[in-house]
Amino acid sequence: MFFQVLFHALTSSNTWQTALTFAALLVLPALGGVISERSGVVNIAMEGMMLTGAFASVMFTLLFSSLGVNNSLCVILGVLAAILAGGAMALIHGVVSINFKANQIVSGVAINIIALGLTSYLLFVLTPAGQGVPSLPPSLRLPTLTWGPLGNIPWLGEVLFQQNVIFYVAIVILIGVQFLLFRTNIGLRIRAVGEHPQAADTAGVNVRLVRYLCVISSGLLSGLAGAYLALGVAGLFNANMTDGRGFIALAAMIFGKYNPLGTAVACLIFGLGYGLSLPLQDLSSNPNLTYLLQTLPYVFTLIALVGIVGRTTPPAADGIPYEPGGAE
Amino acid sequence: MTVSVKQPETPERRPFASRLGLSARKYGAALGPPVFAVILAMIVGAIVILITRPDKTVDPFTNIINAYSALFTGSYGSLGSISDTLVRVSPLIFASISVAIAFRGGLFNIGAAGQMAVGAMAADMIGLTFTSWPSWILIPTMLLASILAGAIWGGIAGFLKAWRGAHEVVTTIMLNWIAFYGTDFLINSAPFTAPFGVTQTIALPPNAQLPPIAGVYNQIFANGQPVLDTFTYKIDISIFFALIALVVYWFIISRTTFGYEIRVIGQNPKAAKYAGIPTKRNIFLVMAIAGGFAGLAGSTGLMGQPGYNLTATAFSVNPTGFDAIAVALLGQTTAIGILLASLLVGGLRSGSTAMQSLAHVDPNLVLIIEALVLFFVAAEFIPALRRILPRWLRPRFVPTLQAATIDSTVIGVPAKGNGEEQNVVEISDLDKEE
Repeated sequence: MFFQVLFHALTSSNTWQTALTFAALLVLPALGGVISERSGVVNIAMEGMMLTGAFASVMFTLLFSSLGVNNSLCVILGVLAAILAGGAMALIHGVVSINFKANQIVSGVAINIIALGLTSYLLFVLTPAGQGVPSLPPSLRLPTLTWGPLGNIPWLGEVLFQQNVIFYVAIVILIGVQFLLFRTNIGLRIRAVGEHPQAADTAGVNVRLVRYLCVISSGLLSGLAGAYLALGVAGLFNANMTDGRGFIALAAMIFGKYNPLGTAVACLIFGLGYGLSLPLQDLSSNPNLTYLLQTLPYVFTLIALVGIVGRTTPPAADGIPYEPGGAE
Repeated sequence: MTVSVKQPETPERRPFASRLGLSARKYGAALGPPVFAVILAMIVGAIVILITRPDKTVDPFTNIINAYSALFTGSYGSLGSISDTLVRVSPLIFASISVAIAFRGGLFNIGAAGQMAVGAMAADMIGLTFTSWPSWILIPTMLLASILAGAIWGGIAGFLKAWRGAHEVVTTIMLNWIAFYGTDFLINSAPFTAPFGVTQTIALPPNAQLPPIAGVYNQIFANGQPVLDTFTYKIDISIFFALIALVVYWFIISRTTFGYEIRVIGQNPKAAKYAGIPTKRNIFLVMAIAGGFAGLAGSTGLMGQPGYNLTATAFSVNPTGFDAIAVALLGQTTAIGILLASLLVGGLRSGSTAMQSLAHVDPNLVLIIEALVLFFVAAEFIPALRRILPRWLRPRFVPTLQAATIDSTVIGVPAKGNGEEQNVVEISDLDKEE
């Protein structure tokens, strides 16, 4: 009985479609984290940056819409606003941890708190009677792309070729980041700055600039993920709507050993866990069992982490502010 | 760079008055930045109110004054509100000790929330199963069960870190969600769930509840007459347990070999290993102890308030486990710092409801203030401001974030002052050499 349902769930295209949707949602901030940590700046603030992005995307889409801007332009501007908002949060993290050489964990925790506080506060202030924003009409959401005849392939079409537009953007970014980090000069510099900033500095790399750019790009990616969550997946904004996904992305990043492709695999596992939890809820007449089933992806992750992945070694200079010349 | 002071004699040899002055300066220097940070954050919060004008019926300056006075009356303005604040502070202290002790060992315990959940659930299960036991045996059993459950939950992460190299940030996040859903399952399961179809447990019997301080006071000082109303003064005796826990934490960290060892591990695992400190065993133990404290945070929060019962999904939205990270960092992982920081954060949280009802300011403003305090402390630009002060006013001791000794994934610390970077080693590096 159980295995029958499990098999059915595993082969259903719905499960995989959901799995890929959520994997894409997680992989964007996780890639941001990879870039940031590879350059030597610890970033646990993807949660906050995503939330800020989600908020900005909905608010700006609604703002432009009320100004009478064409619908699709509204959405594009909303996504841009989300990316910039995430980037702005990351800029704060950068200033505090690169210039002020603050404890990067403290700064990350503070970013997460301030993002939650600010978005909830502004949601209350900016909406009439503090009611929050209504669900967005389909015309103001990120569209799902259907790839013509490819979308009609029985199973594969639904899973791969009927996804939200950001899903494809995420795949491009994933390949781009992998290429950037390991096949280009810039990537070499980023990794050098994260492993041995003194050596990189001696070789003429601007350590601070590289770190700033990397931290900011992590914010841009997290902001994009926020827009995807708000405008694509949910179609609305709630207080604290990211609900710990930024932390799952953090886990995926470490699980993936700070490698873009490994991180993507980790995100896929989390996404699959989420995709499976929905069909498995129909499994038994006792709805209570769904709670137990929902723990399964996390249990599997723990087992995988312990059995397969093992130790994760972060970049050597991760979290250490750079002091040029070794003197104050 | 520290202002160089000649220190020919040790503080012990100085005359008492001088020692007093010395410690006043020392604690003043440690307290100064956080106090300034709070003031600065309040000013920024005021600017936020000024710009957003949440209450359009009054002018913005009145709105600011209303908001902050409501924040104060709602948190520390009267005995009743102080009691309400302490209800929040007490679990926060336990959870913050949990995060702080892990930080001291170079570990980042994001799992306090999950450890709280299993702790509360264990206590609840004992309390609802052995309802006939007298409270003098039931309550200690429940507290022990919560410590044990939390310790197991934290210990799993510690074990996986020490012997399998699994990163504690990942494992504690996973364990959090397993704990949230697992407790939801138990809360909805047959012996514990309330019969009327609501996803919550049966209320604990009176003999399983921690007595409120007001009730104890009435018993001892007023011969059982209800001098203090237990509905107005809700705080239970768990706040005393929290204070004891702080002393225990201080004792473990600064007065035991184990505490010394975990501090060494936190600062330099390689050195710890070469010094013969059993690194793996201690990492496991420190996570288990951290889990135990967090378990107490869960159970005392449950057992303190009469009629309070566990509801499904309550733990995943309970902010205490994550607030604890902020408190531990703000309190610089010292016992006294945790006490002050949790009084601050608990006060902000508790006063925010009054701020909403009296001044129409959204309670989330206090989150902004809390985060800004963290920023201002972390960025250490108050020490930067210090340089502007005339020399005789400068504190001689440069306060540093002691929390900053988290392991290298999570954090490494610059050795401030001498410009040399501390040799931060990941635990996993140690094993490669074997």
